Amino acid sequence: MKLYKYFLLISVAAFTISSCGLDNYDEPKSKIFGKITYNGEMLNLRGTGEAVQVQLYQDGYELRDNITAYVGQDGTFEALLFDGEYKVVTKDNNGPWVNSRDTVVVNLKGTTEVELKVTPYFTISNESFSLSGSNLNTAFSINQVVNTAQIDYVTLLVSRTSFVDDVNNIARKDFKDQKAGTVTLSMDMSDNKDFASAAALFARVGVRTVGADQAIYSKIVRIK
Amino acid sequence: MKIKNIVIATLAILATLSSCSDFLDRDPDTILTDDQVFGDAVMIKSVLSNFYGRITWGQHIDDTYLYTILDEASKSDGGPDTRQDFENDRWRVYDYTLLRNLNQFLKGVRETNVLDADTQKEIEGEARFIRAWLYFNMCRGMGGMPIVGDEVFDYAPGMDITALQYARSTEAELYDYIISECEAIKNFLPTDPTINAARATKWAALMLKARAAVYAGSIANYNNKMPTPIRTAGGEVGIPANLANQYYETALSAAEEVINGGKYQLQLTKPDDRGRNFYEALSVKENNKEVIWARDYKYPGQTNGFTQSNIPASHAEDIDRCYAGPILNLVEDFEYINDRNGEIKTTDANGNYIFYDKPEDAFANKDPRLWGTVIYPGAVFKGTPVVLQAGQKYLDNGVWRVRTSEPGEKDGNGLLITSVNGPTTTNNQFVNKSGFFFRKFLDETPSASTRGRRSDMWFPRFRFAEAVMIAAEASFELGQAAKSLTYINQIRERAGIQNLTSVTFEDVVQEYRVEFAFEDHRYWDLKRWRLADKIWNGIQNDPNAQQFALFPYLVNMPGNANDGKWIFDKFPTHMSPYPRYFQMRNYYNFIDQGWINNNPKYVKNPYQ
Repeated sequence: MKLYKYFLLISVAAFTISSCGLDNYDEPKSKIFGKITYNGEMLNLRGTGEAVQVQLYQDGYELRDNITAYVGQDGTFEALLFDGEYKVVTKDNNGPWVNSRDTVVVNLKGTTEVELKVTPYFTISNESFSLSGSNLNTAFSINQVVNTAQIDYVTLLVSRTSFVDDVNNIARKDFKDQKAGTVTLSMDMSDNKDFASAAALFARVGVRTVGADQAIYSKIVRIK
Repeated sequence: MKIKNIVIATLAILATLSSCSDFLDRDPDTILTDDQVFGDAVMIKSVLSNFYGRITWGQHIDDTYLYTILDEASKSDGGPDTRQDFENDRWRVYDYTLLRNLNQFLKGVRETNVLDADTQKEIEGEARFIRAWLYFNMCRGMGGMPIVGDEVFDYAPGMDITALQYARSTEAELYDYIISECEAIKNFLPTDPTINAARATKWAALMLKARAAVYAGSIANYNNKMPTPIRTAGGEVGIPANLANQYYETALSAAEEVINGGKYQLQLTKPDDRGRNFYEALSVKENNKEVIWARDYKYPGQTNGFTQSNIPASHAEDIDRCYAGPILNLVEDFEYINDRNGEIKTTDANGNYIFYDKPEDAFANKDPRLWGTVIYPGAVFKGTPVVLQAGQKYLDNGVWRVRTSEPGEKDGNGLLITSVNGPTTTNNQFVNKSGFFFRKFLDETPSASTRGRRSDMWFPRFRFAEAVMIAAEASFELGQAAKSLTYINQIRERAGIQNLTSVTFEDVVQEYRVEFAFEDHRYWDLKRWRLADKIWNGIQNDPNAQQFALFPYLVNMPGNANDGKWIFDKFPTHMSPYPRYFQMRNYYNFIDQGWINNNPKYVKNPYQ
């Protein structure tokens, strides 16, 4: 009987001890800091709604699901991962650039920076915004990068937060028939209730290329 | 003593284990063998009916909220609908389990000897029709998927599974397969209409053939007219432009076979009341001449909750009511009898209100199909008008003021303020928020809106008008303008609106929109025409992408000439604050990563 009791005790102890160990990993601690660039300049994008994504693949495992990293509106992305070799690629047909599935190989150890070079159809530079009363005026340059690309529309956007894009805005005006070069646009917001009550306002312009699923944007400028 | 006990116990256990009774070898009593099923004609029929119950996909009347996703209706209950984007698996169908079951069934039916030859062919035809319908539903969401023919796959441990892994077909191959299956089985199936159009006939097979062909034709046509056509290198998505004409010809000939078949017609039993006529052509089963194939329901047992969910509060028979309401976007897309611009006139050129004696006068001379599709303010349902009144309005020093109340309250003079039906902008449950109710598929049967009974309204999948519209569309695309005009005018004449003198692509789009509202056409039509990203463009307050409401007000200004008249306000509905945003990635559902893990031969869809 004594023996039996000891046996029970030992087996319980054995179970308790042997349950931890091999099957547990530490959480990933290494980090990839990425940016999407053209000629060394970071691109301005839509940063909400998981709109622009990059995909990370790791070879050598049975399953080939990618890790998705979401790109912010300043063209950066980051991912918390285990050390190892990763392939970074833009999502198919996603983004205001020429679709290219060229991969960048990253050897992640601790912290690694990665630069994903793309060829946007257009870039926007020299943007300036000014608010006179309820009228927003803007001037900027659209630089044609891909000769065959055509502008679908140029969009002028205002938001109450510093997140400004074709979905997050309180005022939006689209301009058709625009050409590359210097562009001046204006938008009247006198009827806009959100405009009147806003404590802070941020503006941005975007250029949507025919056939692209996303627009490329200017930097965000606080106008109020 | 202790040891003795243990020994006895051990022996007892051993004795139990070594028992040679066949207790564990019994045949399961909940699984039927093939012999049991296919040796009995009644069992065969019940398996077939099980298949019919498993094939309702997309937008349908058993789920009201599916109507609020697009630009047809908006939510009226609960909190606002924050939808903006469409999911990557929206209405995606991937059911190879059903496909395997169908192939097992086909094998059994072909081998059985309990059926006479005609019935055997008929049942085979029905099963293959259901299989083609399943492929069609997969194809319109995802493009080409594996075609497995009649094969029933079996797996034994240790087997090489790569033989089971089929690559995706091309989109054109899958549409071709659907078309050829429909053609192959059409003469297996009965030519006379079935009860409540619940079972497949020759005409249902031809309708599926026509629809598959016109979808394939429009993808071949319109996809390649996009700035960047959506396609994969292997053709799993995207159909070459040079195939368009042959698909349109197939569609036209299949549609004309139905039109000339003489079994169905554009139902016109009440030429003096075209609105009622249109409602009955779709929503009344008795003596129906129009519906070719439907998901039928039957009380008791097989009922749906559409009427229960959406009945106006003033006509409700139980707790539930007013879950959702059609929106102004749809209402304005219906033309006037003699005016193609269907806008509801609420203000004059100077921006002043137009005063109507009765709320329904604002809808006078609209396409009668509007009456048969939605209940607008003041329209009659089950013999009494449905009062939709958002509140009272009055002029106060030249400014219009609004007076609203809890639903159903009256003012001191006994005048209604806000109707029990609404519409309101509050967050009250069970009151309308859009200004309109559904009429199409709303059951007039007593007690159809109670929880205890529910409705046995059917949901038509194919009806004669679609054959005529496919013929109109296909002949238009083939450049046969005169023929196209004849067909589209048949639709418009039955509806009760003016004839066209020529047909444009926009006319075709418009006619589908109003004729087939709430019938699971809109989403797929805009997709195949590659219009969805242009119409649902995600722009705030865009007239198409944003959902709009129409609120009727009673003018309460005693002494004023306009006292007792009605005025209307249009505005974006608060129940759906964001515009619909259909992006390029939504043209094809994503291929699930889990499927790719199981079958590495799958390729992903574009934008994935």
